[in-house]
Amino acid sequence: MSEALSYVGQRIPRKDGCEKATGKATYTVDVSLPRMLWGRILRSPYPHARILNIDTSKAQRLSGVKAVISHRDTLGIKHGFVETPRYPPDQYLLAEERVRYVGEEIAAVAASDELTAEEALSLIEVEYEELPAVFDPLEAMKLDAPEIHPTHPKVDEPLKNIAGKTSATWGDVEKGFGESFCVREDRFESQLRTHAYLEPQATVAYYDETGKLNVWTSSQGAFIKRAKLAKTLGLPFSNVRVLKSYTGGAFGGKVDLFSHEFCASLLSMKCHLPVKMVYSREEVFCAARHGQPLIVEVKTGVKKDGTLVAQQIRTINNCGAYRGSGVVVIFLSWGFAMLPYRLPNLKYDGYAVYTNNPVRCPQRGHGAPQVRFAIESQLDMIAQELHLDPIQIRLTNARQKGEALPNNDTVGSCGLIDCINEAARVTNFIQKYGKRKSGRRRKGIGIGVSSYFSGSLIYPNSSSVIVKVHDDGTVTLLTGASDIGQGAETILCQIVAEELGVPTEEISVVAADTETTPVDIGAWISGGARVSGNAAKKAAESVREQLLDVAAEELEANKGDLRIENKEIFVLGSPQRKISFSEAVALSIMKRDGNPVIGEGHFRTVKNVPYHPSLATTKGRWSDSYAFDAQVAEVEVDTETGIVTLTHAVTVHDCGFPINPLLIEGQVDGQVSMAQGQALFEEVLMENGRTLTVSFLDYKIPCALNTVKSECFEIITEEYKRGAPYTTKEVGEGLVSGILAAIANAVYDAVGVRVRKLPIHPNFILEALRKKQERCR
Amino acid sequence: MKINGDYHEVAIEPQRTLLEVLREDLGLTGTKFGCDTGECGACTVLMDGNPVLSCMTLAVEVQDKDILTIEGIARHAELHPLQRSFIEHGAIQCGYCTAGMILSAKALLDKLPKPTETQVKRAIEGNLCRCTGYNKIIEAIMNTDCGDK
Repeated sequence: MSEALSYVGQRIPRKDGCEKATGKATYTVDVSLPRMLWGRILRSPYPHARILNIDTSKAQRLSGVKAVISHRDTLGIKHGFVETPRYPPDQYLLAEERVRYVGEEIAAVAASDELTAEEALSLIEVEYEELPAVFDPLEAMKLDAPEIHPTHPKVDEPLKNIAGKTSATWGDVEKGFGESFCVREDRFESQLRTHAYLEPQATVAYYDETGKLNVWTSSQGAFIKRAKLAKTLGLPFSNVRVLKSYTGGAFGGKVDLFSHEFCASLLSMKCHLPVKMVYSREEVFCAARHGQPLIVEVKTGVKKDGTLVAQQIRTINNCGAYRGSGVVVIFLSWGFAMLPYRLPNLKYDGYAVYTNNPVRCPQRGHGAPQVRFAIESQLDMIAQELHLDPIQIRLTNARQKGEALPNNDTVGSCGLIDCINEAARVTNFIQKYGKRKSGRRRKGIGIGVSSYFSGSLIYPNSSSVIVKVHDDGTVTLLTGASDIGQGAETILCQIVAEELGVPTEEISVVAADTETTPVDIGAWISGGARVSGNAAKKAAESVREQLLDVAAEELEANKGDLRIENKEIFVLGSPQRKISFSEAVALSIMKRDGNPVIGEGHFRTVKNVPYHPSLATTKGRWSDSYAFDAQVAEVEVDTETGIVTLTHAVTVHDCGFPINPLLIEGQVDGQVSMAQGQALFEEVLMENGRTLTVSFLDYKIPCALNTVKSECFEIITEEYKRGAPYTTKEVGEGLVSGILAAIANAVYDAVGVRVRKLPIHPNFILEALRKKQERCR
Repeated sequence: MKINGDYHEVAIEPQRTLLEVLREDLGLTGTKFGCDTGECGACTVLMDGNPVLSCMTLAVEVQDKDILTIEGIARHAELHPLQRSFIEHGAIQCGYCTAGMILSAKALLDKLPKPTETQVKRAIEGNLCRCTGYNKIIEAIMNTDCGDK
């Protein structure tokens, strides 16, 4: 059995709890500087138009206006969520000669107050020439579709609007289908959903008298913001400082560089005053980035016993007017398709298609919910055809420890079979499933399985942590990690506490400041616990070694005989021979050339690989740790109203080992709730490129009355030991998917209606029930 | 205006909301801006003990009212039992809804120290939270010990 742990693995309340509970935590919307101006953005009213002229002169003359910018004031540097030779940056931060979606940024103003800024916007005159627009990805793939980026190199000739394409083959699918006992083809569609973070997009930028740009922005990672701001503003990295402010929810929606961050910065550079921009909620709904609506076509061949033989998948992503993360989601969809089950033959084609819709970005799961919904739904259909139960078919195909993946990654540890078995056991799945239902309210049960990667290579590719000991023996931890609610600061403290035997309360954290803290991969690549956590561990280990060295010398003992407890170092067996951390620090300063005991640790995932895998071919290492889960949903369907209620959710997951079960439960509950919304009611409605759902009244997210009983169980497959790197797995976004699929499968179990399109509208259920009844007559 | 027991004299334009005046004039930024249209509950404060949406309340309306914000519920250095309970139960993630949530809960517990789960859900149904799925918030409220109150 592993050594007893005091901090790692414990239910330690979050480090920033007190600040947040008392209202003292400073979010970007709370940042206020002397003489601060308000910035506002002028947006395109058209989905596709040529800009003939922009006249900002009247706005500039308005009293109270300090700066007005349009494309001419920029360096004209394009940017993109990904920037590779195949996918070069495709978006200006202020539109040049063309706008391609309603809401695209055209100009920005900074004025003494919000109303003046708003008035100034109304004085900017823009002449447009409307162009034909296209909104549906299948329409945009037609040869006669309006061309959205005429000057772009084409990804998939002769199609004009393909933003990106991912293709991968593993084995021989045609041969596989030929050998299959049963082959099914189905099509599934996921809606446009959005993050609904409560803090709107917000930025405060101040270009100070020393020529340094200081930026507070509601984000998921300071370092990527700095890199992109520096590049697009033409500033050296060292002249851009992104400082910490708390983020009021993000869920993938605050990763990339956004126009308002660029505009606030450029406006401040123009007038040398601080500029604040905060989106209205309507602006968040209409112009900020949402998730990715995905069409998933799946053809699957299986043996008579349910063993998967071949799977062919085509995904089509309506990625909006610029690439955003649209070309990433089609890559990731391949990954989420191939991960959980053994697939001897797999063919995948993913298309990201430009349309005249707002740009899209990651949203919690980034493709996994859409793909798992499709595959898990179809798997249940196949099981039914073969008279297998949903548990059996999943157990037959579940990946196991050490299997090779198509991209040459290995699965590593894998508790998927245990997850499925345990999920079935705790819910009495087999006893409940497939029972004939009658009456108005019918109950159903369903299962979904998914898997998620735990950190990959993407800028800045590394996390680094510094740990220093103070004269009194307390500790400060410096990390570039952003705590967006997931608890990054807390778990890093737990790890340092474990290595040093210093209580978490005595460790203070300095975080998320590009100037004073070391680089961090950011809170958007599912690698925080593994990558930043291992960096923290190494930094703390270095401190531990330094303290032990000094103590061994002072106590005339072997280092191996020393123990640390309660900020003291003593000799095992003679506890009176001891020195305190405080004394050790003083000794180190005296005997080690003034070294006050500072440790640093660095960590990078997927060692010895230069880049992230190819987005076009999927070749190359992706991650070196994969999380697995099985989730069960129980629903009740009201056959008179068509309303589906999620009544119980069970998550059994292999997250390696839990660093903090309290925080993990919170992550699970939040993902179940997000899946509930995606399954049952959330949808951003658009018409001809215009957003119709512009408020929380139009876009309903779960409220307290929708609270689902959510239970979570862990399958432990890894362990944490002092003095060695550890492997753990992600828990922050992979758990939307299984439960989403499980809800759709549970609806089928309840009323025999197969869901192929999300969300599950009550009228869809009623219509399907009516049709079923007609067929029975 | 009486905010958290202190009297404040402010000269304000009549169209300004209580939320704006709290945040911009009085520096009480614990009350959050979420939607400005009364839909999310992040700006909830207590007016004479009842939860109100400060983004939907004109500042001039509260001249003779008793306003309580998140900054006013801890007694000196000692956290309010609800604040302690939220921290201990993991009811806080990003924290943006927390102030409004705690104040809605306080209004409930002041009237009903031992609420049922349904009463708790009803009391906070107007406070949106995207992080927690509400489970731990409900747990925190139901397990708050207000005995010393």
